[in-house]
Amino acid sequence: MPLFGKSQKSPTDVVKALKEAVNSLEKGDKKAEKAQEDVSKNLVLIKNMLYGTSDAEPQTDIIVAQLAQELYNSNLLLLLIQNLNRIDFEGKKDVAQVFNNILRRQIGTRSPTVEYICTKPEILFTLMTGYEHQDIALNCGTMLRECARYEALAKIMLYSDDFYNYFRYVEVSTFDIASDAFSTFKELLTRHKILCAEFLETNYDKVFSHYQRLLNSENYVTRRQSLKLLGELLLDRHNFTVMTRYISNPDNLKLMMNMLKERSRNIQFEAFHVFKVFVANPNKPKPILDILLRNQEKLVEFLMRFHTDRAEDEQFNDEKAYLIRQIKELKAVQGH
Amino acid sequence: MTMLHSEESINENNKSARRRKTGVYKLEPNDNVVFENHRFLSTLAIGKRKISEELLPPGSHGIFRQKQSSCDHHLTFSGYARAAKHSIGNIGNILSRKMAASTSQPSIPWPNTKDDYELGKVIGVGATATVHQAYCKPRNEKCAIKKINLEKWNTSMDELLKEIQAMSSCNHENVVTYYTSFVVRDELWLVLRLLEGGSLLDIIRHKMKASNCKHGVFDEATIATVLREVLKGLEYFHSNGQIHRDIKAGNILLGEDGTVQIADFGVSAWLATGRDLSRQKVRHTFVGTPCWMAPEVMEQDHGYDFKADIWSFGITAIEMASGTAPYHKYPPMKVLMLTLQNDPPNLDTGAEDKDQYKAYGKTFRKMITDCLQKEASKRPTASELLKHPFFKKAKDKRYLQQTLVAIGPSLETRVQKASKRQPGASGRLHRKETGEWVWSSEDEADDGASSESDSESKPMNTLVSAGSSGSDHESSEGDAPPINLVLRMRNSKRELNDIRFEFAVGKDSAEGIASELVGAGLVDGRDIQAITHNLQKLIETRDTKKVVTFPLNSGVSNQETPDDKALIGFAQISITD
Repeated sequence: MPLFGKSQKSPTDVVKALKEAVNSLEKGDKKAEKAQEDVSKNLVLIKNMLYGTSDAEPQTDIIVAQLAQELYNSNLLLLLIQNLNRIDFEGKKDVAQVFNNILRRQIGTRSPTVEYICTKPEILFTLMTGYEHQDIALNCGTMLRECARYEALAKIMLYSDDFYNYFRYVEVSTFDIASDAFSTFKELLTRHKILCAEFLETNYDKVFSHYQRLLNSENYVTRRQSLKLLGELLLDRHNFTVMTRYISNPDNLKLMMNMLKERSRNIQFEAFHVFKVFVANPNKPKPILDILLRNQEKLVEFLMRFHTDRAEDEQFNDEKAYLIRQIKELKAVQGH
Repeated sequence: MTMLHSEESINENNKSARRRKTGVYKLEPNDNVVFENHRFLSTLAIGKRKISEELLPPGSHGIFRQKQSSCDHHLTFSGYARAAKHSIGNIGNILSRKMAASTSQPSIPWPNTKDDYELGKVIGVGATATVHQAYCKPRNEKCAIKKINLEKWNTSMDELLKEIQAMSSCNHENVVTYYTSFVVRDELWLVLRLLEGGSLLDIIRHKMKASNCKHGVFDEATIATVLREVLKGLEYFHSNGQIHRDIKAGNILLGEDGTVQIADFGVSAWLATGRDLSRQKVRHTFVGTPCWMAPEVMEQDHGYDFKADIWSFGITAIEMASGTAPYHKYPPMKVLMLTLQNDPPNLDTGAEDKDQYKAYGKTFRKMITDCLQKEASKRPTASELLKHPFFKKAKDKRYLQQTLVAIGPSLETRVQKASKRQPGASGRLHRKETGEWVWSSEDEADDGASSESDSESKPMNTLVSAGSSGSDHESSEGDAPPINLVLRMRNSKRELNDIRFEFAVGKDSAEGIASELVGAGLVDGRDIQAITHNLQKLIETRDTKKVVTFPLNSGVSNQETPDDKALIGFAQISITD
């Protein structure tokens, strides 16, 4: 504990002081500089309570519980997130650290902060729009991914209208922001298998019409990343229904066949992993079968020469051999 | 010899490329050194200069990696707690925040369109990246642009993303400044601050070439000044919960004004991928033998923390005094053994004469000893080190301008060097995570700077290409293009391997190369003479003969019959170009 006792502030005092400072920062009155300083200082105090310092252990559970309670009651978490852009560089990171720590807090099997945020979904929606602002995007991303680990919170985000903004965020020009948005997007779509499958099934049309745009993006990274994720989604057995639906649509097959021929070898390779599902499907609908039959010879020839230098990748070679065999053996089905 | 790599191309079950996950460097029971992530090892020096950065985001693997991700944060931040000596309400801390805030006054943001930049000279080239000097038109400001070819980055992009995000989460005077990044076709462009002084290694090399540095490269004041800046950068990393993992002179950059910044957050990890190395006609020099690596990083049993950086920092201190890391003469495996088995190195470890470095005082030596303690927990933190008496000798930026920037090679010189493809001296062999062996010259050994040690570690050229007309038209022997060769033979598992290497006539000797192959465990010791002899013969008669097949002394196993076609009991060396 510090020798010069001034920082023995109680959670109530610190939260109160921080809230006042953030309020005055928000107003932008002439004490703004002082407010900035106070925000930083109090954020550090809270962070140290939670994480400890080199000289001090983290505070006891009782103090932390008090702190959490104060944060809920004062509505400070939302206030901090709303004013994140006004807080300085290190302070923004501190907000994310404090937020994530409080979020992870457990009492037995309960996660009180998760319960709290469920009653204040505005926190999530504010965080989600964080990607609109360059200077807070990554901090919001850090908090969002922590939230996404909790099914209840992931559900709120997935089913919100704001979710569809992610199809835009993952394509913004600043690479680190776009890629951060993509990891959050991916987390939301893959973390909680049953929730995700249900979401994709009920919103199939809307999601996949948006998704189509990513696959056709001008941005190489977006195209490559979204194609890879598509492969992962379709091959996840939880998403069986979604997969079946996806591979029944001849337009999707055409898109993948075109992507197999893209200039980029990486995109070709990812496309292969989606294409293979169309071919491996034992119950190919007629339109799919027709396309494959029409291109039967060309496809066999193409696949024979496809990425032959991946000699070391056994699984890939097995799959390729399997596809070639399947395509060779394709026969038109009568009467379907 | 500039590089060599074996593509274990035939029958080689090369799975490692698929699991490039965590940075691991370990000894396997069978004595093979395995680099699962060559971040530590093969930092790709881009010509004479690197502008590349990496660090580890909080809670990512590498920090306490044996734990589940859910605990990472806690652990990382208890690490943070130990690292950060700031007491509650530390005034310095608040002040530095204010400064950070005021320097980021909104002006024109760094644009994300290619047309807003004018690309200047190439100041560095790597396997998948090129660094340009550049000019940002709307801001009327110079910068460096690193163009990374994403198509050649063929594993998951997640690591790339993590590293760039880690970089953008730093805002500190002693950490390389990242401005923005954007995608141009299949390239990623990173816009960074241009540090025109080059790396500390450039300057060390330059100085060693220009003057006699036998008794030390820099004076203590210079060393203290630079290292104090590095420590401040490290303190910041560590307080962010990040580990740099590749601290060394080559990764410390200097601005014209004497600014010191830590760079290279491990771009190496994604620069050095695959076989494009041989196809692309650029210079690829892998550096970072494990010379700077802490013992616990080598062992990798228990994970490691930010104290690993303190070890590397200690090695860097030695480097600044003596010009090289203590075990720089040895191949990586030897360095590993020496580091793990011997007492920690010190300033005199690499010395030839006993009193060579007597000019350096006790305080400096004590500081090095503090850093190089095998038991990581005993090493001081960056914050503690900053209070070490040695750093009382530190001066300000302007001092560095005089002692370092002014004497360093000009950017122009470095540019020329980066583009010149002079074969370096025979060097070191590294195994990459893909299982390839990569042979490189020691660091960017395109200047004969470290000639003292070079003459010792490498046999002088015993091979005079008598009767060879190949070099007649060449201006100097040093400029002769190296000969590309492949040694095809079976390994101990009887699988055929191609070991590619270069032979610089006038620099390399057949004997030297053969013994390096043996030293790396690629060739049976009994075959050293056969390989030496036949390599030499092939080089001498290279105008008329391109391939030689010869019997091996190591013979064949009981079930096999020697066969020079199937290369059973035989090996083959051929010239590929």
